[in-house]
Amino acid sequence: MSYLILNGMYKDDSFIPKINELVSKELVKRDVKGETIDLHKNAIKPCLGCFKCWIQTPGVCIIDDYAREVAKKMIQADNLIYLTPVHFGGYSSELKKALDRSICLMLPFFRVYKEEIHHETRYDKYPNLIVIGTLEEPNLKQEEIFSELVERNVLNNFAPKHATQIIYHSDDESTVKKKVEEGVRIVGDDND
Amino acid sequence: MTKQVTFLMCSPRGDKSASYSLGSYVTRLLEEKGIAQQSFKIYQIIKNSQKIDEMIKSIDGSDIIVLSSPLYIDGAPYMTIKLMDIITEKNNQGKLSKKDRLLFANSNAGYLEYYHNNIALRIYEQFAEKNGFTWAGGLPIGAAGTYAMYPIPEFLKMLEPLPEDDPRKEIYEKPTKIIDSVIKTAVDHLSKGERVPESELKKLEFIPMPLQAYVDSGNKNWIDTAESLGAKDKLRDKPYELKK
Ligand SMILES: Cc1cc2nc3c(=O)[nH]c(=O)nc-3n(C[C@H](O)[C@H](O)[C@H](O)COP(=O)(O)O)c2cc1C
Repeated sequence: MSYLILNGMYKDDSFIPKINELVSKELVKRDVKGETIDLHKNAIKPCLGCFKCWIQTPGVCIIDDYAREVAKKMIQADNLIYLTPVHFGGYSSELKKALDRSICLMLPFFRVYKEEIHHETRYDKYPNLIVIGTLEEPNLKQEEIFSELVERNVLNNFAPKHATQIIYHSDDESTVKKKVEEGVRIVGDDND
Repeated sequence: MTKQVTFLMCSPRGDKSASYSLGSYVTRLLEEKGIAQQSFKIYQIIKNSQKIDEMIKSIDGSDIIVLSSPLYIDGAPYMTIKLMDIITEKNNQGKLSKKDRLLFANSNAGYLEYYHNNIALRIYEQFAEKNGFTWAGGLPIGAAGTYAMYPIPEFLKMLEPLPEDDPRKEIYEKPTKIIDSVIKTAVDHLSKGERVPESELKKLEFIPMPLQAYVDSGNKNWIDTAESLGAKDKLRDKPYELKK
């Protein structure tokens, strides 16, 4: 069983590193091994929107930079964790610069799934998805958008199991711990 | 004083994008109403601090901001989030004076259904709120690739002479006419400094053709394009599959 944490914090964030540590510890406790990628420390070029990863070099982005490695690690993990500030209700640009470059993990082909248009899977197995967002303080509107965004992502990235947690800077230590435990609870050994 | 609009074009596909085609249509119609336009292709300026300053100056002097963006993975693309980060940072530094500004957005999805764009538009609304811009509404466009190929006025001209029983009348002309009419009404409101009424934007809530028809034509298109690039037989490759 493995995990990959995509840490989408902005570089001056002092809160997410603490969450990152707690999440990794919790996973290790469950005998899940893996690593964190601190995206802000890695140069990743923006997606060109060219779809060449579908129709010219299928499965691989034409830009040869670290995003290729990230996409590969994403699909090879059993559990994928996004860490990000809740940013206007969505993800940080740091997280998104890598995610936009990961559409090579699905096929270009459309299908009707749950009465909507989605893509076909490229791989036989996709990781579970745990998304942990942080907020200075509760913000109902943004939390709603964020949770819906994760739900939509799950329809498009085929995660067999998923969880969303929002952690406030003002949460006390035990609440943070509980939320982290709750978030990683879906990690079982049935996806090994 | 002449009113001003800043057009923020967020697609990396440049003039060949739906974001350019639809966003520039909005701003051109605003121009026809005497509103001066400055436009910025974000992927060209994102790393150029001088150009960023020019953009901020333009926003500072603007009454209307038109943000036009593709939809990437159910939300705002990296480039659009980065743009919002930059504007917010400059605003926090006091680079934007107090002024009433409307933010009008357009989000373009590859999927057929318009509503995939709704989350992105709500994100842009939050951005507006955070920055003291008045949210003027958003255009959620599905199957937007059509408009990357054909700007609305040209497309309508092409479709007009078709016989009434031609299926393209129903699946292309009818929806395009609705989008055209909503854009024109939106421009009327924006030019008067007003938000676009919800009831108008709601007219975009339709799905122009059966899902399966879109799936079939889209899939044929992928295969044909891959074939022309010599990659047809590799389309389903799994380069990152874990070797057991
Ligand atoms: C990285 C990436 C992610 C995308 N994600 C979605 C998506 O989640 N839903 C969707 O309907 N279309 C998605 N698309 C398709 C684009 O939204 C669509 O092609 C759009 O028309 C592009 O607009 P543009 O021409 O202005 O760049 C995605 C495209 C790319 C390149």
